[in-house]
Amino acid sequence: MDNAKPQSNLFSTVIWLVLVALTIMTFCLGEAGMTGKGVMLTLLAITMIKSQLVANYFMGLRNTKLLWRAIMLVYFFIVGGLIALAYTIALM
Amino acid sequence: MDSSDINGYPVKPLNMHQLNHKGDLPGDFAFWIFIFAEMIAFGVLFVAYAFARAKNVELFNASQLTLSRTSGAINTLVLITSSYFVVRGVAAIKSGLNKQCAHWLTGAFLFGGIFVCIKMVEFNAKYTADITMSTNNFYMFYLSLTFFHFMHVLMGLVILGFIINKARRGGYSAQNYVGVETGASFWHMVDFLWIILFPLVYIIR
Repeated sequence: MDNAKPQSNLFSTVIWLVLVALTIMTFCLGEAGMTGKGVMLTLLAITMIKSQLVANYFMGLRNTKLLWRAIMLVYFFIVGGLIALAYTIALM
Repeated sequence: MDSSDINGYPVKPLNMHQLNHKGDLPGDFAFWIFIFAEMIAFGVLFVAYAFARAKNVELFNASQLTLSRTSGAINTLVLITSSYFVVRGVAAIKSGLNKQCAHWLTGAFLFGGIFVCIKMVEFNAKYTADITMSTNNFYMFYLSLTFFHFMHVLMGLVILGFIINKARRGGYSAQNYVGVETGASFWHMVDFLWIILFPLVYIIR
């Protein structure tokens, strides 16, 4: 797909609303004071979805070569994976 | 020979739009090197925070509870909305609508300003409570991470300000919008990093 082709405004609005909903979900999990490995992994999964939505649909990387999308995904897997590892160590 | 010919072959004049080929990163590639470098720097700090926490979980959890999750969540919504406005601004300029682009980007700029105000209130609350980077390891990470990010927000606002000014003067077009995309990419990076920072520092325990 050509990078010059704008994505529809309705689609961008839907992505924005999904990001808002996921942020509220993150906040509610924090307010509920829930802890543990399952909650930590859930929060990291929500964060990964949000970051990839921003990268692909706001930054526009979905229209670029696989390499650039892969860099953003690998970045999150490395950073998020190491964070998950550190939190798992803390729980042991 | 005509100035637009080379060896008898007609050459179409090169414009900024043509520099952005199918499949390339949006905006200026050189700026993306800077964006990737910034992401790596933040990534190292995020991981360092997580491992420092693993060494002193009680301290980090107790200190984390002193942060305002509400402020953090509102700032996340503010940045996400600001990023959305930037997306609409880029869409507008791709249709050649300079004024609409400027309007959307002005909205993004104002929301960026709200983020700055909320963050300054948060920093002030910590300052008045005599909390500094040397208070403990949690606050060292919290203040350095959020201040480092804060500086990027300010830089993003300066970039947006320049783009808004140029767009108002009709400086972009449906064929020339690399500058808008470059600034937009930086602003989205600021949003992307906050999306990781918020749950890491404010929420996950």
